[in-house]
Amino acid sequence: MRRAFSLYGHAASVEARKAMSYRADFWINVVLTFFAQLGVMWFLWKAIFAASGQITLGGWDLPGILRYTILVILAGKLVRGPEMASGLSQDIYDGGLSRYLLYPVSYWAFKYAQHVGSLVPSAAQFLLFFLLAPLLPGSVGAFHLQLPHLLMGVLALVLANLLYWLLQLPLQAVAFWADNVWSLSVLLRFISGLLGGAMLPLDLFPEKARAVLELLPFATLFDLPVNALLGRMEAGQWARGMALGMGWCLLLFLASRRLWRAGERGYTGVGI
Amino acid sequence: MIHVQGLSKEFRVHKKQEGLLGSLRSLVRRQSVVKQAVKAATFHVGEGEIVGLVGANGAGKTTLVKMLAGIIHPSGGDARVLGHRPWERARDFQRGIALIMGQKAQLWWDLPAADCFLLLKEIYQIPEERYRQTLAFLTETLQVKGELNIQIRRLSLGERMKMELIAALLHQPRVVFLDEPTIGLDLSAQRSIREFLLGYREEHRPAMILTSHYMEDIERLCERILIIREGELVFDGPLAEVMRTHARHKVISLQLKPGASPVSLKRLLGVGLDVELLEEGPERIRIQAPRDEVPNLAGRLVSELQVHDLAVEEMDIGTVIEGLLHARGASAAPSAEAGQGAA
Repeated sequence: MRRAFSLYGHAASVEARKAMSYRADFWINVVLTFFAQLGVMWFLWKAIFAASGQITLGGWDLPGILRYTILVILAGKLVRGPEMASGLSQDIYDGGLSRYLLYPVSYWAFKYAQHVGSLVPSAAQFLLFFLLAPLLPGSVGAFHLQLPHLLMGVLALVLANLLYWLLQLPLQAVAFWADNVWSLSVLLRFISGLLGGAMLPLDLFPEKARAVLELLPFATLFDLPVNALLGRMEAGQWARGMALGMGWCLLLFLASRRLWRAGERGYTGVGI
Repeated sequence: MIHVQGLSKEFRVHKKQEGLLGSLRSLVRRQSVVKQAVKAATFHVGEGEIVGLVGANGAGKTTLVKMLAGIIHPSGGDARVLGHRPWERARDFQRGIALIMGQKAQLWWDLPAADCFLLLKEIYQIPEERYRQTLAFLTETLQVKGELNIQIRRLSLGERMKMELIAALLHQPRVVFLDEPTIGLDLSAQRSIREFLLGYREEHRPAMILTSHYMEDIERLCERILIIREGELVFDGPLAEVMRTHARHKVISLQLKPGASPVSLKRLLGVGLDVELLEEGPERIRIQAPRDEVPNLAGRLVSELQVHDLAVEEMDIGTVIEGLLHARGASAAPSAEAGQGAA
């Protein structure tokens, strides 16, 4: 156990160093993409509230929904990780998987450790935001973060990260049979963003739709951690969401394992 | 250490017709063909042996190596490497082997070599003391100590290849697969890698399988070769045996005295003999002749020409093997020869 921790910890640490080794890329990813996303959402929500002429929409006022937006952008980086960071399908496509098949390690565990390591810049950005939040205009920066909410939110983020990674596994495994599955990752990103609360809070969906959405894995990705951090969730509701997310993790793990075993038998190790 | 019995591999390869129409058609319906990449290969490799795997591009060399390294599953037959079926990927098997691919970087492109090696130390769980000793030995022998902290992608091809070798040998594998380890390297780098591999063999006695298109690699490193043609092993035996059984000619090189009077070579070489004039200059002549004819022909040439020096050479090994690789039918290389290697 100690050896495994040392190995995967080392893999994560190497990936963290890699993520910060290209200065320009680091600052573009950490600062520019955040402000670009935030700018678009900020003006969009202001326009929606102005056009509706209402003070609240689906239980959210404008500063509240802007706080949600900021958190969901930051949490999104932690849940999804950098674009194509895992590169599982790429490993299959270009034969990079071969070297991991040679090593006496679990390919998935190794790749997940690398994925976690690549999150370090996003985690730093997340922490930095809480320090700088009071500087935000108006009441947008008024985060009244309480320890239980922080704990619930962080645990939900950890689960969401694992769940998103596991959601990718079966899709990426399609690369064993099809040469390019990049479009499936884009599809997952879009669907999970829409149905998971990354584009807009799930409270804004109709009641019946929301009941269905809460059973899907996507709500665990963004809605659960962000609402937990904002203190908009009861402990029981949070526990139900976590249990559901864990159930999805188990299901996806088993399905992926089966798919990978079948696919790996036909792996040809092209490119070497 | 390596036992292979009737190992085969088939691939289904999709064909795509040319042109826009072909691309559109392939979106709906694809044609495919089954390619027999390796056909019932049988051989054994023992401790301390370096066996050369020789064949033309697409002959099945890399596929065979990939099966033995556990990267791909075979379609038929069986193999044991260090007592394990490679494709079952037992941890003990993985700790005991290494694969070095000259055409494919295995190290992490963005990391300095030193960081890659530390990661490999964790992967193979190499004890600290042994890691330090092995790394010091390998970096000194390959003379790359000064490049350890440079990103892999910034190293020259030769330096990168040396780092790949170190990475593959850090855990002191008992079986090493070398796939084109000197490809693209300059002569000096090729030589240093060959010397290193020989030294490593002496010290650690691993079983090695080497594939290379450079005949010098094969000649310098391998006492025994496997020749693979269109997926089929057509020769398994000592390198010298290839020359004895398949090099039916020798080359006579003559250095003539300056100002020697010209002689009709056609008359001297005789008619009807399987003799070929390879080079004819005022002071130098090279003739390819059947082995059995060489003593008579050399005697005749010395007596009739004003010879300053004479040498009889074996044909270039590459030429002999090339002849074998491109030969068709059993007469060129009886497949019964395959499978007779050392256990």
